[in-house]
Amino acid sequence: MLILRSLDRLGPMHGYGIALHIQQMSESVLQVEEGSLYPALQRMLIKGWVKAEWGQTENNRRARYYKLTPAGLRQLTEEVSEFTRVMEAITRVIEPA
Amino acid sequence: MEGPGELWRRLLFLLGRGRFNREMEEEMRFHLESRAERNRAEGMDGDEANYAARRRFGNAPLLEEKSREAWGWSALDHLAQDVKFAVRSLGRNPFFVVVVVLTLAFGIGVNTAIFSAVNVLLLNPYPFPQPERILSVDARHISGKNSNTGYRDFLDWQQQNSVFDAMAISPETGGYTLTGQGEPQRMTGGATTADFLRVLGVQPVVGRFFTADEDKPGAAPVAVLTYATWRQRFNGDAAVVGRTMTLNGQAFTVIGVLPRGFAYPGIETCAFFTALGESSSNSRNQHQYGVVARLKAGVTVEQAQSDMNTIAQRLEREFPATNTGWGVKVQPTGAALAAETGRLVWVLFAAVGFVLLLACVNVSGLLLARASGRTKEIAIRSSLGAGRGRIVRQMLTETVLLSLSGGGVGILLAVWLMKVLRAAAPQELALDATLHLNSAVLAFTVAVSLLTGIAAGLAPAWSASGAEPNSILKEDGNSWSRARSRNRLMAWLVAGEVALSVILMAGAGLLVKSFALALDVDTGLRVEHVLTFALNLPGAKYSSDSGVSTFYRDLLERLKNSPGVEAAAGVMTLPMTGGVTGGAFQVEGRAKAPDWVDTLVQYNASTPGYFGTMGIPILRGRDFNEQDNEAGLPVAIVNDALARQYFPNEDPIRHRYRDDPAYGGQWRTIVGVAANIQHQQPTKPPMPGVYLPHAQWPANSMWITVRGRGDAAQLAETARTAVRGLDGDLPLLKIRTMREVVGDSLAESRLAASLLSGFAVFALLLAAIGIYGIVDYSVRQRRREMGIRMALGATYGDVVALVVRKGALPAVAGVVVGVPLALAGAGVIRAMLYGTSPRDLTVFLGVPALLLVVALGASYLPARRAAKVDSMAALRCE
Repeated sequence: MLILRSLDRLGPMHGYGIALHIQQMSESVLQVEEGSLYPALQRMLIKGWVKAEWGQTENNRRARYYKLTPAGLRQLTEEVSEFTRVMEAITRVIEPA
Repeated sequence: MEGPGELWRRLLFLLGRGRFNREMEEEMRFHLESRAERNRAEGMDGDEANYAARRRFGNAPLLEEKSREAWGWSALDHLAQDVKFAVRSLGRNPFFVVVVVLTLAFGIGVNTAIFSAVNVLLLNPYPFPQPERILSVDARHISGKNSNTGYRDFLDWQQQNSVFDAMAISPETGGYTLTGQGEPQRMTGGATTADFLRVLGVQPVVGRFFTADEDKPGAAPVAVLTYATWRQRFNGDAAVVGRTMTLNGQAFTVIGVLPRGFAYPGIETCAFFTALGESSSNSRNQHQYGVVARLKAGVTVEQAQSDMNTIAQRLEREFPATNTGWGVKVQPTGAALAAETGRLVWVLFAAVGFVLLLACVNVSGLLLARASGRTKEIAIRSSLGAGRGRIVRQMLTETVLLSLSGGGVGILLAVWLMKVLRAAAPQELALDATLHLNSAVLAFTVAVSLLTGIAAGLAPAWSASGAEPNSILKEDGNSWSRARSRNRLMAWLVAGEVALSVILMAGAGLLVKSFALALDVDTGLRVEHVLTFALNLPGAKYSSDSGVSTFYRDLLERLKNSPGVEAAAGVMTLPMTGGVTGGAFQVEGRAKAPDWVDTLVQYNASTPGYFGTMGIPILRGRDFNEQDNEAGLPVAIVNDALARQYFPNEDPIRHRYRDDPAYGGQWRTIVGVAANIQHQQPTKPPMPGVYLPHAQWPANSMWITVRGRGDAAQLAETARTAVRGLDGDLPLLKIRTMREVVGDSLAESRLAASLLSGFAVFALLLAAIGIYGIVDYSVRQRRREMGIRMALGATYGDVVALVVRKGALPAVAGVVVGVPLALAGAGVIRAMLYGTSPRDLTVFLGVPALLLVVALGASYLPARRAAKVDSMAALRCE
């Protein structure tokens, strides 16, 4: 969900860019091995949620850019609403009445 | 949620895997370099920045592999890897490969061949639609005896039943001579009734089958050709209908052609079918026809049986004189055949199953020994992260590769074995047409090969992969306790191998012994120097009884006067050829037995001199002479069995008896008693029988027996010349020496005995190789121990004894387990034994003794090598 959301906000990005973005957004709360991003991206490629294309970075290096597809957008919406629903439920439970 | 798009993307991935790996690596490198740059920008120095980036990223090769695995093709990759690796690793050890592949090839080959027989005989007996609906309908007497059916009864059954779609007389095969197309030629034809094809459920491919009107006596003769005859004789000409064939001097009009592959046991030799043309005035008690019928859809065999019972009871009431006590038995045709040959085929199938099991055990042992040389390799692989499952799978790939190669070679062996089976199997089984390599047999071979590979490889692979890599890499690679556990497994394998060999060899021993006894049994005949052949005088040319008698008298006269011939005579039914003519027997002045079945005796006819030619002693009275002809007093000679049964306390000579009404019911005077001979198989007890003078009971077909001075086979030319001198159109049939006739009657037991002894020799060989391999392996493992023992003063003999015990103990255990199992198995083949008890002492002492000797021999060779080890060298080399 985080990957899809990043791609949704910032448009096509390479893997390193996604890692940086997630790190900044979560303010380093979510510390995971950055490499585990790549198997996840492959699974999304199989599902058809993202598309990959080779492109040039600002400092002229070759990098693979991932782009959200319409199917990916639908998946994101679904996941976000599901997540929000669960969060709200949890919030209601733990908030003092 | 596997959509079509997803599948498509996966497939594309499969095609571009090389590029994928490059791209994935580049992408990760880019990530790491970018992160390192950033780290440097934040003030780290070069190396530290790189390390930090790596720590942050995680295990790159593993992640790369995980990315790849996400696409779901990793199993395929592993398999390709395993196969490549297996080929390389096996290639380093060609001798091992050859031994294993040949062992498995034999095991799989014999199984394939026997399975093809099982498939033909037991699983797919008939090439007709819904063969299970084709039933045989037999007359059955109260006494429980099955019999053929009288033609009039058949007609009533056919008209009155409501359970069969069609009913027909199963073809009566007979010999025909085809003339008018070059050389006169012998062909077999089947005479049947009009509904025969409807019973089988097939249609002619050209023309039609004959109708009920064409089956009446006196109708114009017609013939329906088999596919093969049509192709061979008429070049497959579609305009064959309407052409004529001259058979036995009579013109038959061809009216149709049967489809290809039209055969079942009993009629497979028929080249054409004709109408039976039986007269409906034929009596009811001439039980001479077999009946087949096709069950109506939705009717069970039991319902058919009950309907036929009703008909039989009605006939009993209507015709008490002929039908009292006669019922009907309805049964599946396949079952009748399966009952006859099924036991033999199953025994062979079980035997080859044992052979395969033995091959598996042997290969397991060899693999285990080989695995011991690979412990280090395996330990390294497992420390590099290969799981136990992965290693087992890799080793299994190797064995399956071996077993599939074995299967490949095995098919060649199977094809050859099938040829042997086709040649050796009894003719009635019709294996010629059906026993071939086909898809079912191939599927069986592949399945058996795969299973064999897995079965043989599993134990060694599991045992080899279970090692703790640390200890192996640190120690010398063969820690004592692991070698011990492997040795124990090997001892089990030896014991199993010996037990299996005992079972196989005991079974083979029993059959071979009974076969030898059966060959030696006194048939009552002098079989040396006797040549036999059959003649069948065509009815059109030899229509009168006197014509037939004259021909045979002239022929025998010519033969007797030929050079090199001592005696010649004719007989209607030659001993050991399977054919028997049965009939009732009623002694004058005694009450008629209530049922002729109980007074069934064998009827035969012979010319004067037959007993002398075949060396059958006349015990009392006289042989026939030239005066016992149509004009003479009706006479007969009985055999000793009949004399003892009907005249226990008196001399049968000059008593009168009456022939079976079916054979004319003639009153005859007994003029002689001949010694018993074995008339069917040598292993069956003699039946009471009578001989009539051929001149008083003539038949067109007859066997001629010729006794010469030298080699019987050389009389064939003499016989041909004599026959040609009388009738140039008459072919000589089934020319064989009498010794061959007796041998052929044992074809089935010979086949079983020779196959089983082949398997037994193989079993012995495997056991020897297995024991040798395993003892040799354990000796190599214990070089150091032997060195120490000898350094401490053990003698040559001590060491040999120590090693031999290693092979001998499991062998003894195998014998102890194998003998009771073999005894149980022998009970199953009891019916196939002759003159041999299933607990035969020679076999059950000889086989274990032989196996123990082989086990000792196979252990002694490596033991001698072990004892010759130079103790210092052995200690130093570790």
